[in-house]
Amino acid sequence: MRGKMSAKDPVDLKQDRRQWLKASATALGAAVLPLALPLSETRAAESQGAPAPVAGRPAAGSAEAKSGARFFTPAQHTLVEELSETIIPADSRSGGAKAARVADYIEQTVGETTDDQRKALWREGLRLVESMSQHYNGKSFVESSTEEKIAVIKVLSDNAELTEIPEVQFFHELKRLTVRGYYTSKIGIHDDLEYKGNRILQEFVGCDDPTPGT
Amino acid sequence: MAEPEADLSKKYDAVIIGSGAAGGMAAHVLTTHGLEVLMLEAGKKLDIEQELRSMEWPYDNSHRGGLPPGSHSLNHNEYTIRRPPFGAGFEKSKNLYSYVGSTDYTKNIVVNERENPYTGTNYAWVRARCLGGKTNIWGRLALRLSDYDFKAKDRDGFGENWPISYSDIAPYYDKVDLYLGITGVKENLPYLPDSIFQRPTKLNCTEVTLKQGIQKMGRVLTQYRAGVTTDGLKHNKYRSRCYGRGACERKGGCDIHAAFDSPTGLIYPAMDTGNLTLRTNSTVREITVDPVTGKASGVHFTDSQTMKDYTVHAKVVIVAASTLESARLLLLSKSRLYPNGLANSSGHVGHNFCEHIMGPYVAGQATDLVGKPTTLDDGRPGGFYLTRFRNLAEKHPNFIRGYGFEGGSGSGMFPPGTDSPGFGASFKEEIRKNQGSYIAMGAFGEVLARYENFVDLDPVVKDKWGIPALRFHYKFGENEHNMAKDMKETAQEMFEAAGLKIIYVSDRVLTEGWSIHELGTARMGNDPKTSVLNQFQQSHDVKNLFVVDGSAFVNASCQNPTWTIMALCWRSCDYLADQLAKNEL
Repeated sequence: MRGKMSAKDPVDLKQDRRQWLKASATALGAAVLPLALPLSETRAAESQGAPAPVAGRPAAGSAEAKSGARFFTPAQHTLVEELSETIIPADSRSGGAKAARVADYIEQTVGETTDDQRKALWREGLRLVESMSQHYNGKSFVESSTEEKIAVIKVLSDNAELTEIPEVQFFHELKRLTVRGYYTSKIGIHDDLEYKGNRILQEFVGCDDPTPGT
Repeated sequence: MAEPEADLSKKYDAVIIGSGAAGGMAAHVLTTHGLEVLMLEAGKKLDIEQELRSMEWPYDNSHRGGLPPGSHSLNHNEYTIRRPPFGAGFEKSKNLYSYVGSTDYTKNIVVNERENPYTGTNYAWVRARCLGGKTNIWGRLALRLSDYDFKAKDRDGFGENWPISYSDIAPYYDKVDLYLGITGVKENLPYLPDSIFQRPTKLNCTEVTLKQGIQKMGRVLTQYRAGVTTDGLKHNKYRSRCYGRGACERKGGCDIHAAFDSPTGLIYPAMDTGNLTLRTNSTVREITVDPVTGKASGVHFTDSQTMKDYTVHAKVVIVAASTLESARLLLLSKSRLYPNGLANSSGHVGHNFCEHIMGPYVAGQATDLVGKPTTLDDGRPGGFYLTRFRNLAEKHPNFIRGYGFEGGSGSGMFPPGTDSPGFGASFKEEIRKNQGSYIAMGAFGEVLARYENFVDLDPVVKDKWGIPALRFHYKFGENEHNMAKDMKETAQEMFEAAGLKIIYVSDRVLTEGWSIHELGTARMGNDPKTSVLNQFQQSHDVKNLFVVDGSAFVNASCQNPTWTIMALCWRSCDYLADQLAKNEL
């Protein structure tokens, strides 16, 4: 079913998600099961080994590009890049999450965490967002236009209070890590916010206080 | 600065247990008097320059300033739903820290909770076992107490008065101001005496708006009175003046030591006198007693690393291990002569435990600043302090004592407002446009010193060194909860009066202990039956034993305690040196 929607249409997330969950049998299982996977299952998933490094990805070296053990497959990494760019896009002032290599930061953070539930949330979340993209746009998230990508994420942002739904949980986690990765990056601190600190300040400008006696 | 090898065979004039604000001050004063002093610190001597890294950019840090994998710091939810000792449920985290250890810059300063368990009621106990203790990461708000605090019983009938008045301690506040440096603005408030301030920093425009808005209510907002030297200190070669570089919000201290810390402010200069010997990694287990004279003879300690035990002798023993650790040590020092613990004939050691309640706060926005160019607001030694206004001239019907607000505003290295809803281009632009317009403040209120709030020794649980753990019997009471409700209401009313847009207001109380201002477990007093120490922090029972940290406080007041701890300690150590010279100890 091609449920093409614009972001303006009202969305009943609880109703809609039945359809994208139906789209794949494994997804149905995930929707019914709680997110906390049994340990054995998670370890099995992790022991599949790190995906091979991909050409074109920043080499480890600078702290910003360092991404520990690979956690995402190359396709997942590309998806995370596009998702993070949808949260914080490039604009006329500064580069977005993609240019700031936020996906590498997320991969490092999720790859290194000892919290299996968090790892599971990322695996499940990426798969569910992909199903949503197929549902709303009839194509993968990565191949969607900017407007189509926004439409999918808007469904989750508009329903941000439904925190019992895994897709919404994933949205909050995606946004949180994107924000943290972006505003601790060179692009976020210097280009976007134009932060003036970390150097000697001759005098704090402050405000002239007209109060008598000060 | 040479660090002499500790000679444990000789008898020192004084042994100091602890190296924080109190221990450091005791070392400074006593070595200046020419006494031969040994300082024992339970923790390590950190390479503090490496720890602090005040100028590091987050993108140059391997985890953007966060904790590396395998480390966890307890959050408010965990302090609420779990009970100490902490450890169970965190099996995957080799290092488990208090809430303060949540960054790469603080994690090595606070203790590993697993090695340092405590039991009993919920309490967020933040401990820094390293040279300088918590002064390495303190909040720097340096306030004086007044007779509204020292004589609070005269005003409302609760508790006890201090055995001193403001006039007794005022000269010592002055000494601390001049020796360590403090920035602020004179306000001539009887309940919050001025210090001898160095160059102040201006308020920013949002703060001026709030200041003017509350003036008609008779309330006072002033520059954060920070224990930071803004003019420099000619007598101290280890500390630079503040250069307003920013990122001061990074809790990990100040690498040029413009902000006071005990090692550069007090201990290194004391070592330069040649009279101070320092031994780190020395966990004191017991204060030893001469069975004939009944006086303290020295201490028994364990090397924290090698686990070897040692004894050292001194004419005077000075306990400065922090309010709760000092009480623990007195209780541990049981003997035939002192079966309830040392200095505890009154039974008050561990009791009258008090601190500051915190949590209620308001966050808002000066909407006229949205989209305006930002200033380097986080480069100042601090934001603002909104002084106490309750129970000064009038009596509040629901609670006694008072509270003040600590606040900040404007832009920082990490932008405020990132928890606002939405995403995409508009979200990004909002964060950028709003970053300089936010303002927030949180209250710190007096927790009444009550006998029934106390700590004792756990009969079963021991720490890594086999020393019995501390057990908490401590809860906020009705007065504190009534005060917390009022904090929220007045916070809201003041933001409204100033025309600030309110974004969030909360009366949620944080876990007991969160303020890291624990006080009062060995209070001073004139009556040996109801107090542990006299006005010179000298034990009523054992005259060559002094307890010079926050445990001596009779009440918590609502002002931050560090400056008072140091002023009191200076006064007591002057007395100590005089008494020792007269052979009175």
